[in-house]
Amino acid sequence: MSNAKLAIFLPFVESARVVSMNEKETIVVDTASAGVAAPDALVRYPPGDLAIWIFILAELLVFGVFFSSYAFNRMNHVELFNQYQATLDRDAALINTLALLTSSYFVIRGVVAAREGNNRLCAHWIWGAVAMGGVFLVVKSAEYSHHIGAGISLSTNEFYMFYLSLTFFHFMHVILGMVILAAVAVKAGQGGYSREDHVGVETGASYWHMVDLVWLILFPLVYVMR
Amino acid sequence: MSMTEPTRQLIRPCTLVYAVLVMLTVATWAIGRLGLSGLGVAMLVLAFALFKGHLIGDWFMGLRGVRGIWRWVIAIWLMFCGGLISFAFILSYRS
Repeated sequence: MSNAKLAIFLPFVESARVVSMNEKETIVVDTASAGVAAPDALVRYPPGDLAIWIFILAELLVFGVFFSSYAFNRMNHVELFNQYQATLDRDAALINTLALLTSSYFVIRGVVAAREGNNRLCAHWIWGAVAMGGVFLVVKSAEYSHHIGAGISLSTNEFYMFYLSLTFFHFMHVILGMVILAAVAVKAGQGGYSREDHVGVETGASYWHMVDLVWLILFPLVYVMR
Repeated sequence: MSMTEPTRQLIRPCTLVYAVLVMLTVATWAIGRLGLSGLGVAMLVLAFALFKGHLIGDWFMGLRGVRGIWRWVIAIWLMFCGGLISFAFILSYRS
């Protein structure tokens, strides 16, 4: 059996090292990359504390209502929305999206490290994710500074009301996510997780991915779609 | 296997997913930068976003390994948002 096929039959192993003696190569399969899972290998609940998932669903519902409100309000002011959308800095939005995606990638690597019992590596990845969150805050703050300098506020017009409130609401979530990730990184740095107990890392990771997920809809909706 | 034998570590699927996410993001940005507009373009950009969201839910949030309703919570949310946004944009182009 080839290594590729063998890897597919190792779903959801914490960390499997498959060694093919005749091909003289090593394939590392991690939890986040296991191939196709057999149905009986599927778990009942998502990774992390179930309470954070209830919180995530509530947050997603709120953001979903915000997004829909934006889209339906735009319907009545298409010209205005298109005109002022053009004033936004799409390059900054690209940097922010890449920063959040990269932070999410770092987080998943941190989760894998925690599942392997490697606290030190986990802490490094999670601190990297926090740094990427910091990049987002700096770039977004620069954007806000530019808008405030131009005299733009919530009452300027309907587009800016939505743009500022939506992005600032998300901005606050990024800050909360960074605080959670920093707490996880500190605990990992102190050796607080193990192969058996790493729910805290998965919980923080799930929240951070939600923050990323919301931005992935917000970015095209507010900055690109017209 | 001796320590000197060649070792090849395949790219992790989560790394490939990250690469796809980055490519779709750059494509979205390029569409915005070129100033492309129209219902078809808007729907394409939205489809990119929904697909990216699905990848985040499945591969990063780990829902790929979950059974039952939890497996689909993110997908359902994406369909909810995507459906309403699409509906609003279609109406705005018809009016």
